[in-house]
Order: sequence, then C-alpha cells, then structure tokens
Amino acid sequence: MSDRDPTSAKTATAAKRILVIEDEDNIAVALDYLISREGFQQERMSTGAGAVERIRDTRPDLVLLDVMLPERSGYEICQSVRMQPDLAGVRILMMTARGSAMERRKGLAMGADGFISKPFDLNELRAEVHRLLKSGPAVADDGRGGGAGGHA
Amino acid sequence: MAAGAVRADMLERLSLRIRVALFFAFLACGSVAAVAGGTALALRRLGPAADPAAGAALMQAGLVAGFVILGLVAWVWVLFDQNIARAIDAIAAGMRARTHAEIDAKLDQAPGRYLGDLAPAAAAVTAHLAETRTALAEAVQRETTRLSAEKSRLETLLADVPVGVLLCTGDHQIVFYNGQAVDLLGAGAAPGLARNVFDYLREGPVRQAYARLAGANDSDAVADLMCATRAGARLLAGRMRVLARRDPGIAPGYVLTLRDISGDIAAHASREALLGEVFERVRRPAASLQAMLGLLAEEEAGAALPPKLALMLLEDARTLTAAITELGARYDAGRTDWRPLAQTRSADLMDSLRARLEATGADVTIDAPELLLRCDGFELVALLAGLIERLAAAGHARAFRVVLEEEDGPGARIDIEWHGPALGIGVLEGWLAEPLDPEAGELTGRQVLSDHGTEVWPDLGTEPARLSMPVREARRAVRRVAPIARAVVYDFELLSKARNDRVADSRLADLTYVVFDTETTGLTPSVDEIVQIAAVRLVNGRRVEGEVLDLLVDPGRPIPPGSTEVHGITDAMVIGAPGIADAGRRFHRFAEGAVLIAHNAPFDMEFLRRHETAIGARFDHPVLDTVLLSAVIFGQQDSHTLDALAARLGVVIPEAARHTALGDTVATAEVFLRLVPMLRARGLEGLSIRRCRIAAADAARAGAGDLRAGAGRGAPPRPAAEGPELTATHPPRARQPALPHRGARSPAAPVPAPWARPRRPCRPPGRWRRWRGCDPVPADWRAARRPALLTAGAGRCRRAATETSGDRRCCGPSYPFSARSFPG
Repeated sequence: MSDRDPTSAKTATAAKRILVIEDEDNIAVALDYLISREGFQQERMSTGAGAVERIRDTRPDLVLLDVMLPERSGYEICQSVRMQPDLAGVRILMMTARGSAMERRKGLAMGADGFISKPFDLNELRAEVHRLLKSGPAVADDGRGGGAGGHA
Repeated sequence: MAAGAVRADMLERLSLRIRVALFFAFLACGSVAAVAGGTALALRRLGPAADPAAGAALMQAGLVAGFVILGLVAWVWVLFDQNIARAIDAIAAGMRARTHAEIDAKLDQAPGRYLGDLAPAAAAVTAHLAETRTALAEAVQRETTRLSAEKSRLETLLADVPVGVLLCTGDHQIVFYNGQAVDLLGAGAAPGLARNVFDYLREGPVRQAYARLAGANDSDAVADLMCATRAGARLLAGRMRVLARRDPGIAPGYVLTLRDISGDIAAHASREALLGEVFERVRRPAASLQAMLGLLAEEEAGAALPPKLALMLLEDARTLTAAITELGARYDAGRTDWRPLAQTRSADLMDSLRARLEATGADVTIDAPELLLRCDGFELVALLAGLIERLAAAGHARAFRVVLEEEDGPGARIDIEWHGPALGIGVLEGWLAEPLDPEAGELTGRQVLSDHGTEVWPDLGTEPARLSMPVREARRAVRRVAPIARAVVYDFELLSKARNDRVADSRLADLTYVVFDTETTGLTPSVDEIVQIAAVRLVNGRRVEGEVLDLLVDPGRPIPPGSTEVHGITDAMVIGAPGIADAGRRFHRFAEGAVLIAHNAPFDMEFLRRHETAIGARFDHPVLDTVLLSAVIFGQQDSHTLDALAARLGVVIPEAARHTALGDTVATAEVFLRLVPMLRARGLEGLSIRRCRIAAADAARAGAGDLRAGAGRGAPPRPAAEGPELTATHPPRARQPALPHRGARSPAAPVPAPWARPRRPCRPPGRWRRWRGCDPVPADWRAARRPALLTAGAGRCRRAATETSGDRRCCGPSYPFSARSFPG
C-alpha cells in the first residue's frame, strides 16, 4: 500500500501512457487494475507480433514487457525498440517468470530499463513503474557486470 | 674291482700333462728294465768262464742303451708335453673361457699346430658359440627393450586411466595401485603395497562381491559394488573382476576399479532436498489460499472482502512468492553444481576452438588470459564454434575475435566480436534451438547454456558488434593443477605367494618392513622431542619407491642450535608442521602391520613410545635394529655405525642426504636389504617374535647363529629356543598399564619411563669410542641374563651414560648425533 497521496499521484501521472504486453490474462487484469488505480493510461497487447509497430505508432511512456510471448520474444521486441533511436524515450520494464541473475543481465543488456521477476509484489512493481516514469532519460545497467550506461 | 675303479677315478682327476708324464715315466722305466733284464740274461748266458772283458763290455752296452732310451723317452716326453699335452690344455682352457666366461675373442690356434684338425675344429666351435651367443644376447636385448617399452606404455596407460585401479590378492592384499587410487584412498593414508585393502575400504561390499564372483568361477563375470572409504570421507562406486585361478592352493586375486561418487551423491541429495523444500514451503500457503478463496467464492456477489481475510490472503500470497523466488534463486545457483563441470584451462579451451574453426576455414583471433574456467570444454567449444560458423554463414563477417575477460566477482565473460551487422536476438534464439553440429548429436546451444547456468546475447550498439556470454566460475590459473601422481606401483609376485599372516612363521624376505628414522632436539628421550620423522616401506624384498613418509614435526619447544647443526632443521622450518600427536598417528598408520626397522632402534622407539597416549596408538610392532643385525654378521669388533655399515655393504649415502631423516632411512633400508641374504647364509631364515626375553648375547657376540632378543621388559628369563631364527624385539609391556582403547588412558597415568629400570654401567670410554655407538650386546648380559631387550638395552645404555657420566662422548650414539657432531 502506497503512503503517497493518491490524488497528487494521479495528477502528476495523468498524461503517462503504459503499454502492457502480456499473454497471461490474469496478470494482465491485475496490471490493468493497478495502472488504472495509479492514474495512468493503459493499453494491452497479448502477443509479441506487431508490438514494435504498435510502440512506434503509439509512443507509450512505458512498456511492461513480458519475456515469454507468443510469436516474438520480449528480448527481441526490446532489442528492436532500442535499435531505433527515435524510440529512445520509451522506457521498458521487462517481466519474467524466470528471474535468474543471468536473465536479468541479459534483459538489461538488451536495453531494458528495469527487470522484475514474477511473481512480483505489487508495491515493488508500483515503485519500479514510478521510478521509470519519473527518472527522465532512461538509465540502466548495460548488463556487462556493474557499469551503467544510458540509452538516450 | 673296487680298487681298480678307485685308481681309474684317481687317474681321471689328474691333469692331462701329469698323466702324459706318468705314461712316459712308465715307458722309460719299462724300457730301462727291459735293457737291464736283457743285459742280465746275456751275462748269465756267458757264464763264469767267459772273458771278464766281454762281460764288462756287455754291461757298458746295457748302460749306454739304458741312458739312450731314457734320453729318448725324456726328449719325446718333452716334445709331447709341449706340443700335445700343453696344447690340448691350452685349447681346452680357451674353450672353457669362451664357454663359461663368455669371452668372444677368437681362439688362438697356434698351440695346437701339431694336433691336426683339433685346433681349427675347436676354433670353429667357439666362433660358432660366440656368434650364437651374440645373436641370442641381441635377441634377448631386443625382446627386453620391447618388453620394457611395452611395460612403460602399459604403466602410462594404467596411470592415465581416469579411475582408481587396485589389484588385490585373494586375501585382499594390495599388489597394484595407480595414482588415481592414491587420490581416492589417500585421505587418511596413502595405499601401500602388500597392505590390506580393508585398511582403506569398508570390507562388507568388497567381501560380498568377491565371494559372489569367486563362487561363480567365471573370469568374465564382474560385480558392481558401492563402498565407502574407512574414514567415511568418500563414497566409491566400484567394479570387481576376479582373475583366473593359477594355483589351486591360492585364492585368485581380483581387480577393483573405483570411482568417486561422493559428489554425485551430494548433488543428488541437494536436489532432493531442494525439491522436498519446494513442496514443503508451497503446500501450506497454497492450501491456505485455496481455502480462503473457496470461502470467498461462496460469499454473495458484491459482498465486501473482509479486511482481515484480505490481509491473510495477501500474507499467504507473499509467503508463496517469497518461497518461490528464494527456491528459484537456489535452483539457479545450484544448477551447475548438480552437473560435474571440470576446471578447464582457457588456453586448452581456446586451442580446441581454434583447431575446430581452422577446419572450417574461419578466420579467428583469440585473446584470452590464463584462466581456469569451470565448464564442459567440449560443449563450450561446440557452442562458440557453432555460433561463429553461423555468423560467418549468415554473412555477418569473415573474421572474428574471441575475447576472454575476467569480471568482477567469481566469473568471466567470453565475447565474440566482428566488424559487420549486429545479430538479432531472435535469430540467435533460433540458432540456439538447433542442434549445434552433427558431431555433438542432438546437443543444442540452449542446452549448453542451461548446463552452464548462463545466457548469451548480442550487446546493443557496440562497434565491433558483439555476442556476450558469461561463465559463472573462473579464476586465475596461477599454475597447473597439481597432477595426480602418474606412477603405478605394483609387485605381481605377491599374487603367487601364499601369505602367512603369522609374522613369526614368515621368512625374513617375505615380511613387510617399515624402516624409519627420527631427528630430535637432543639425546634425552625424557625431555627431548622429535623434529623430523621419515619412513619407507620394504615389501617382498624391495623398497617400494613412492611409499615414503617424510614429516617435519613441531617439537613445541625451541630446537637447540647444536641440534640444528646436525640435522639442519630450524625453528622456522617446523612452524605450521604437525605436532607429535598428529605426526605419530600418521607414522603409526604408515607402519601398520609391518615390522619396524631402525638403526639403533631403541633411541627412536623411546621417543615414540613416550607419546603413545597423545598419539592414541601403541607402537607394538616387532622391531629390528640394524646395529644388532650388523653385530650378528660382522661380530663385535667392527664398527656398526650407519656410515661404516653402508661403506662395508657398498651403500652410497649422498652427502646431502646424510643426517636427514629420509636420507638415513633410505640408507638403513638399503643396508637391511643387503644384510638379509647374509643372514640367510648364516641360516637365519625367519623372525620369531615372542613375548619373552631370550638372552642373545652369545649369538651376537659370536657373530653367528641364533640371535634372540628379549621381547618384554621385565619378563621372566627363558632359555634360548631351538632352531635358526632371528628374534625381534617386541614392545615391552609387562610393567605398563594396559591401554583400554585408543587415547583413553589418562594423562595422569603415564607410561613408566624406560630409564626407571635398573641402570647398567657403561663400558669404558675408549671401548665405546671404538664402537661408536652403544654396544647392543654388552658383556655382562651373557653372565647375568637379566631381563632386558637387546634394542632397549642400547637405548638404556645411552641414557645411563648420559645420566651417570654426563659425558655424551662416553656413550653417545653414533647416530643421528655422533660423538663428534653433537656438542656435549
């Protein structure tokens, strides 16, 4: 439970748009509930196909990206987005059920701005979302063992 | 008839020349007798009326004829002797020399020039013999070289077999072991030849497998078994095969191959434990969640969720999440431990990669520091090569660079770099899902990554383009991993020997001995301490190379400079060395079941026995003293120092090894091995060990016959036993309290000091100096027949001298502290 004033949070984040790419409906519903409650605008995709195009078209502020997706993996989508300089402003938070340290490194190396393991704690997710949406230009570990690098 | 035969025999024994001389002598005598007889007959026929002048003439003629005949016979004899008899002797000697002394020079035919074809025939025979012998020697040499090469190859092969191999006799004596077996069984004590395999392995499984196979009587049958080492440190999987029975009287031996499965078992147990924990920790919150959610489902639609229930639901969900997250992390961390991955040198790995890629024509440069990577080298090379080949085939580049780099933490990273278009992760994932290459079977890149608990990915926006793959465990390869000893140790003769468990009934040459020596802080066993102990094993009449114990011992007190001068061991050298309790235990294990031998043994034994309580074991081995053995062989008059004995027996002690425990031990061992045949020549075949005391002075003083040493301090005297055998000293126990079990004796009840016995006066200094060491068989022993040990007597004498006279030179032991070298 957040101790922040929900009203002020909603005001501050009213314009932020979040794209959820998740094939598991239960989790997608929970995320939808959470995002709406936080006052963000939310869209959802349940497959990896066409995700990059959708991001290009809609320019969301944050993408909650599952790794294991039908047709196209989250890593692939992340790499494609990061290969396009005009999408540098899009933050990507990757979610995976297999949250080993190696996968975290891989995700961050692929250009993700954050990495969260499923099952996740809602507070943890909420904090991560707010961090990414407030942090300005993305700053993330380059996945190479401790150094940090930006993807501006 | 009998007298004739004796004469003929006597004649045959005479040399050819004497026989020829006798022949001519008989001829001369016969001829002279004939002339004399003829002359006498002629004189008789002339009668008394004959002219005296005619008679005189006749006598003169007879005499002249006699002398002429004698002259002729002598002349012919000389010619015959020179040209026939001597020539035959010369040729015979030449033939003998060429036959028995294996001389290859041509036979000199000159002496036989009057012997017709004999000399050429003899020369031809000897030449042919030499040729045959040379050919035979060459064939033997060739075959020996071949066999030696084969032996060497087989030894190398057996040394390199990646499992421990033991060959044992039917009564479970070890007759062969390789380096891996040493590695597997050596946790407590390294295996030794002729030692019982059950000193190292628990007997049940081995005995059962042997009984099964021996009963089956099929040399092709094998039995798999699982057994633990004695100390329980390792669990081994083994396979046994019984050898074909060669002698009906001897149980067949067997080969035991062993593999350490402790790691496998531990990994299995760890996985099982994790799995069990998953069920344990997930079951409860899952059940709780199901119950509460079921309750909720039964509530009317639209009913508010009671706050308490909501909190409980959340708590259970959090517990579940935490459990799954933590267990998942542990699974990831432990995954590579469950699969045995070898420490692989990066140089070896990269060499393999280069070789593999050269075959495909790829241009690869490699930049790798010397690291040890924990990985499956074959799989990793297959993955890297597979990726590079696919990158080349997809046109990303023609030249690649492979870089190995250390990372912060325990790992390293392998990068593949190229100048060209970056690789899409989707394409990479596709490649990883394919079999890597036909040689690797169905092995996929994904499987390799999973086995190593890692991932591979293309780095974003780098120039050159790059694929990165971390390796979880890597460390600097400072030096090569200590190699497993390659030597194989064996003595297959033991296989065909019936073993006699009773030492007393064994021949000297058949016993197993441990020869040892100690270096000490000084000469007084009551206060001084051991600083070094060394031992070697003698099995089946030879020293087993590689079965050596050489330990520095921390004496727990400063080493006097005078002692350091003798043995070169300083205080700094013993820092961190084991104390006498640990070192003594190791020595005791090393010497288990063997007869102990030392030069001037009582000295060393007293030091060891004083610490029996701390060591937790008794030195109740039979003990032989080479000083005594030397006295038996060489008598009292000679010096019996190790130097003197070694010089007398042709044993060379390198100067650098002298006065080191190991150097002196090896010298003592060599001396003993040379003494054994000499003892046997004196009819001393066996070793009798009796818990009794038998006066041995007579035998030792006479330098021959029986040598019997007492075996128990204070035991009642008894007369010498019958039969030629050597009696070893047995540890004296009569006046000591019995040890209930190892280490159980209270320190408050110490072993009575050996010098508590009545002291015996020492010999005059001059005598002792000549002896240069304690007299093992003092003069008063024979008369007094007091209860005493031969070997203990020597030590006691030393003690008595140092205590009573205070003059170490009087009775100072020649070894290891000689009168000259140890400052009094």
